[in-house]
Amino acid sequence: MDPYEIEFIGENRVVSIIPNFTYEKIYLICGEFGPFRAGLPMNVPLWLAVMLKQKQKCRMVPPDWMDIEVLENIKEEEKRSRFFTKMPNEHYMVEAKLILGNAPEDVPRASEIKTIIKDIWDIRMSKLRTSIDTLMKSGGNYGRLDHLTMMEINSVKPLLPEAMDELYRIEKMTQKTMPTSLNTSTFSQSGSSQNL
Amino acid sequence: MDLTDDIELSEDEEISVETVLKSVQCAWQNERLAPEILPHRNDMIECMLGQIQHMERNINKLPKTDLRACIHKMELSRIKFMICNYLKTRLHKIEKYCIPIIIAERQRIESGANYLTPAEFKYAQEYSLNMESHLKSAVLAKLPGTMETLEMSKLAVYPNLQSHVFLKANTAVKGVVLEEGLGDQDVEIELENGSQHILQYKPIAELVKNGKVLLV
Repeated sequence: MDPYEIEFIGENRVVSIIPNFTYEKIYLICGEFGPFRAGLPMNVPLWLAVMLKQKQKCRMVPPDWMDIEVLENIKEEEKRSRFFTKMPNEHYMVEAKLILGNAPEDVPRASEIKTIIKDIWDIRMSKLRTSIDTLMKSGGNYGRLDHLTMMEINSVKPLLPEAMDELYRIEKMTQKTMPTSLNTSTFSQSGSSQNL
Repeated sequence: MDLTDDIELSEDEEISVETVLKSVQCAWQNERLAPEILPHRNDMIECMLGQIQHMERNINKLPKTDLRACIHKMELSRIKFMICNYLKTRLHKIEKYCIPIIIAERQRIESGANYLTPAEFKYAQEYSLNMESHLKSAVLAKLPGTMETLEMSKLAVYPNLQSHVFLKANTAVKGVVLEEGLGDQDVEIELENGSQHILQYKPIAELVKNGKVLLV
């Protein structure tokens, strides 16, 4: 999947906004939202929030986790733990990008928050690379990836699954040609089989 | 006013449109990420398309500059994008794996568990026929007589069911048997509710089809 498709899925998440207009309830296919009361916070899907923001019809309310202290804790926890920690939100990167990108003035200390989120992302990505390295070196064909968000999983596609496919193919080939010992022709065979 | 009234009516149906939309999204996600073609979900797609038409008629009654009209249009575009992408993905798979899909589908039709919609099946058959006649007229007709036979089955491209996929378990599933590459013994694992894994598609193909796991 392309990153924009992940973003598309993430945009279905509900966020909080403060509209600057008053309107009755709106009945969308994905649920009913409203009524809109000027100055009163309310929940809408992220895509709608971004749209209203672009039309300058609302202010965005940053989610609870979009706070320096909370994020610092998450960052520390992420550094300390060997495993991936649970993120406050399945699509934290999408939400951060869209909220901070479209409404930086609605988030207090937006640039600092941006940096911390980027740090967290970097720590997790380097952890992910290390685990992939371990997984590949152990020749594994199975891995458990709890708490990784969709965007993070997507960032190692197609590299990881395809490398695992390739490894599997080579293993199958060596199994077949085992009696004649592993030689270069095994690899050229497995290489050509991918064109099938 | 029309808009709200009509939408409320549709909520009296047994399943709400909201639920249908969610399952369309899951079907789209699975179809995008599974190596093989999955059973069609035509009932949901039809329902959604009906809903979209209905909404569009209502939106046209609203003035163009109305904020509500903009919001509804935006939502409809999003749903349309998803449905188009879903159907295109299926067509792409049908074209790529045309021959094995037709063979498997003939058996499935006999048992009444077809994966393709009638329209998709017709498309697959026509595609395969067109490909065959094209190859014959473009290449084979110009070759010496003895080489003129064409075995379609040799042209078949099969999806790689051994490819690795990421998944998230929707419920707890016990006893998923993984085929070990080198070792002789198979490994059995348990998928906890909400856990995420990377593994080969084949052992979990059924779980994708019955909705117990979601590909991510």
